[in-house]
Amino acid sequence: MTTNVKMEFYCDDKRCIDCHGCDVACKEAHHLPVGVNRRRVVTLNEGIIGKEKFISIACQHCIDAPCEQVCPVDCFYIRADGIVLHDKEKCIGCGYCLYACPFGAPQFPVSGIYGQRGAMDKCTMCAGGPEETHSEAEAKLYGQNRIAEGKVPVCAAMCSTKALVVGDSASVSNLITTRVMRRGSNL
Amino acid sequence: MANTLGYGGMTNHLGDIQNSKCVFIIGANPAVAHPVGMVHILRAKELGAKIISVDPHYSRTATKADLYARIRPGTDIAFMYGMIRYIIKNNLHDKEYIKNRVYGFEETIKEAEHYTPEVVEDITGVPAKLMIEITETMARAKPATLIYNQGLTQHSVGTGNTRQTAILQLLLGNLGKPGGGCNILRGHDNVQGASDMSNLAHSLPGYYGLSEGAWKYFCNNWKVDYKWMQSRFKTPEMLHKTGYSVATWRFGVLEEKNAKNNSGTMIRGMMNIGSGLSSISLTDVTKKAMEKLELCVIVDPYVNDMAAIADMKNDLFMLPAASQIETSGTVTATNRATQWRNQVIEPMYECKTDHEILFELAKRIGFYDEMVRAMGDGKGNFKWPEDATREYTQAIRSIGLQGVTPERLKAQSDNWHMFDTKTLRGKGPFKGEYFGLPWPCWSEKHTGTPILYNIDAPVMEGGMGFRTRWTPTAPNGESLLSEVALEGTKSGVKGHDHITAANIEALTGVKLTDKEKEIVKGKTWSTDTSNILVDKALAAGLCPFGNGKARTHVWEWIDQVPKHREPLHSPRPDLIAKYPTYKDKENHYRAFIQYESRQNEKVWAKEFPMQLLTGRLVSHLGTGTESRAAIYLAEIAPEPLLEIHPDKGLELGLRDGDMVWIYGTNGLRIKVKSKFSLRVGYDTASMPYTFSGVFQGESIVGRYPKGLEPYALGEGSNTIISYGFDIVTTTPETKCTLCRIEKA
Repeated sequence: MTTNVKMEFYCDDKRCIDCHGCDVACKEAHHLPVGVNRRRVVTLNEGIIGKEKFISIACQHCIDAPCEQVCPVDCFYIRADGIVLHDKEKCIGCGYCLYACPFGAPQFPVSGIYGQRGAMDKCTMCAGGPEETHSEAEAKLYGQNRIAEGKVPVCAAMCSTKALVVGDSASVSNLITTRVMRRGSNL
Repeated sequence: MANTLGYGGMTNHLGDIQNSKCVFIIGANPAVAHPVGMVHILRAKELGAKIISVDPHYSRTATKADLYARIRPGTDIAFMYGMIRYIIKNNLHDKEYIKNRVYGFEETIKEAEHYTPEVVEDITGVPAKLMIEITETMARAKPATLIYNQGLTQHSVGTGNTRQTAILQLLLGNLGKPGGGCNILRGHDNVQGASDMSNLAHSLPGYYGLSEGAWKYFCNNWKVDYKWMQSRFKTPEMLHKTGYSVATWRFGVLEEKNAKNNSGTMIRGMMNIGSGLSSISLTDVTKKAMEKLELCVIVDPYVNDMAAIADMKNDLFMLPAASQIETSGTVTATNRATQWRNQVIEPMYECKTDHEILFELAKRIGFYDEMVRAMGDGKGNFKWPEDATREYTQAIRSIGLQGVTPERLKAQSDNWHMFDTKTLRGKGPFKGEYFGLPWPCWSEKHTGTPILYNIDAPVMEGGMGFRTRWTPTAPNGESLLSEVALEGTKSGVKGHDHITAANIEALTGVKLTDKEKEIVKGKTWSTDTSNILVDKALAAGLCPFGNGKARTHVWEWIDQVPKHREPLHSPRPDLIAKYPTYKDKENHYRAFIQYESRQNEKVWAKEFPMQLLTGRLVSHLGTGTESRAAIYLAEIAPEPLLEIHPDKGLELGLRDGDMVWIYGTNGLRIKVKSKFSLRVGYDTASMPYTFSGVFQGESIVGRYPKGLEPYALGEGSNTIISYGFDIVTTTPETKCTLCRIEKA
């Protein structure tokens, strides 16, 4: 057994084609409301010949997660495998984490005429939350817990070109290194 | 395609693209239309292949290309002639291949001579230097594959466009090779299957045509009397007349002059099953036609958008059809491979499967017994869909479906992990089979054909030459038979005509018994249901459909070789005199279709200076009827956006995001939001065709049944797409539209 496993996402911009397979799969799997986007596909340099790129972005599950560091109510916790999760029952919807996050990962459902922010929602790497695994409460607050079932997060499973990969850092690094070696000068 | 190579299907398959050294994509956008197939192109690139994209729109596919050329819409033939001329002048063509396997090469050279790099640059707008670089890259890569799609077919010269791709690949010797071929990507699940079943107006299933012989062959297979079949038609000659197409039927409702092509009657009723009617150009004509109908039945799992666009108070019936997961049966993929699809759930609520709806209809009209006679015991006891599969595969021998059985398909679909994803070859228990038994699959022992026209494989493993679909000799006396033998041919026969009862003994050197002779008397490889002729040919290593040459010269067509012709609505009026369109065509799929009279009606480009491109969005399929009703897909693309070059937009007084009116050459206009984008050139704009719910600026959402309105609403581009239809198939010319854009 590896003890220093760190789970991570990697999006290969040479492969990503902006097909939205990942974000739609995410929303379907977790029944997210419209406007809450745990994962997004962004376009860079649109229309500039030879320079346009797409990349799929979600919570990057940072080792030194800034969201965790700024949270005034300490609702974040980092699992032993590196997955960054949070407790929605503790969250007060203040939005500090959104300011701290370099990836724009935290999402806030907005409601009411004053646009009150509800508890923050973000990518769980399909690992649920602090409630009992596979309980109704977990499903309701955080969506599916695929990691507990030994399944790949749904976004990467659905990726049409296998641009988005996920796994422990050694496996991800291995896969990307193989691709880079194969591409060689064609990188 | 079929008139050049023998069949119209995709020659290779998606996984095989990984074997290519160059992927030439023209008039296709697989990153958006075939995202899952796109991975094979990206893998090919990782293995060193060069990717080339030729498209007026800098598409998501183009972003992955090594070379990109922004071509003027409707000039693909000229562009490829430029390539062909350069290839020949620089001796880059495969002379041995052409000598052995191609007819009509001289005619191509003659026509190509005109298309110097300068001429091509003037017509297409692609700099000569770039065209030459693309040609060099493609011609020197062995093998190179070519991918096309609706960007080539939806033109008045669409048939010429597609032939030109085959001609280009023939000159380079790329057809019939792994990593080569013309890979025609089909736009939906089972389009190839629908085509094979001939859900079209000009043929019986399996491309058998409408001749008396074809009808008699099918009546025999369906176990019904030919005379009875004749009696179902108004007059016997109607059996043999090409019908109205999905594009021309509207003219059969609206224009009395077409009644003479329809045994003197106008169309009064229409039943539409699973077709996105608003995906055809001239939405207002479809609307008028539907409103005039006395009966209109639409069978669809969703609300067909045309049912809302047409303002009908009466005579419109919508039958809820079951979706694909509520039924089972076969689906044929883009590469001619069939898969078995299992039912996941029972049909929900009051919806019924398509076949149940059709059976009920046949019962009411009174021919149900005849309809099901060839299935099961012939008395109405049959197993659906297994017996239906047996019926069609055993009848359709023209594309070799006789080896495709429900049992083989089910076993494969349950064990797809036992097949190689790159070659489709089976492993373990499935050794000797290719996944999906891509047609032709000549017998139950046959492997299926992953790559068409590959003479380096024996016939039992999918080897074949080009099909002798035409006479063995051209009108000029030249032989159309191949000069090389197929791998593993035992009798030493090189080129040969298709197998018939008359030539089987001479070609195979095997004597038939008297009993066999009796059975196959007067039959050919495609009409002998005993399969004796095919089996004997296979045993001798011969391909049942012959071993012929591909033809780059089609002597019976208006354009014997493809010719550049300006679109009906051309942004270059100065070129019309030199490259005029066709003469108007009477009785074209039963309708009078305009060509030159429309092109010369006025100088269209003066009033309508912009070209409008239309295409797909990855999140919406086809007309978007299904996907716009899915909330998360609607969230990604909630409304149509008109991509317009920032320079042009600013000149028109727009700010990014302003609403604009787009005026079409048919006198109608649509209102959409603008989006400044460098994906389009200065004089073109682009929008998706996948929307509905707004018609000429007015919301029609109130016309949907309550609670069934789609989430994503907007104008469909087909309301203002210019008139124009392909000269052979009547496919609408959606890719060459002129328009005028004004701030709303």
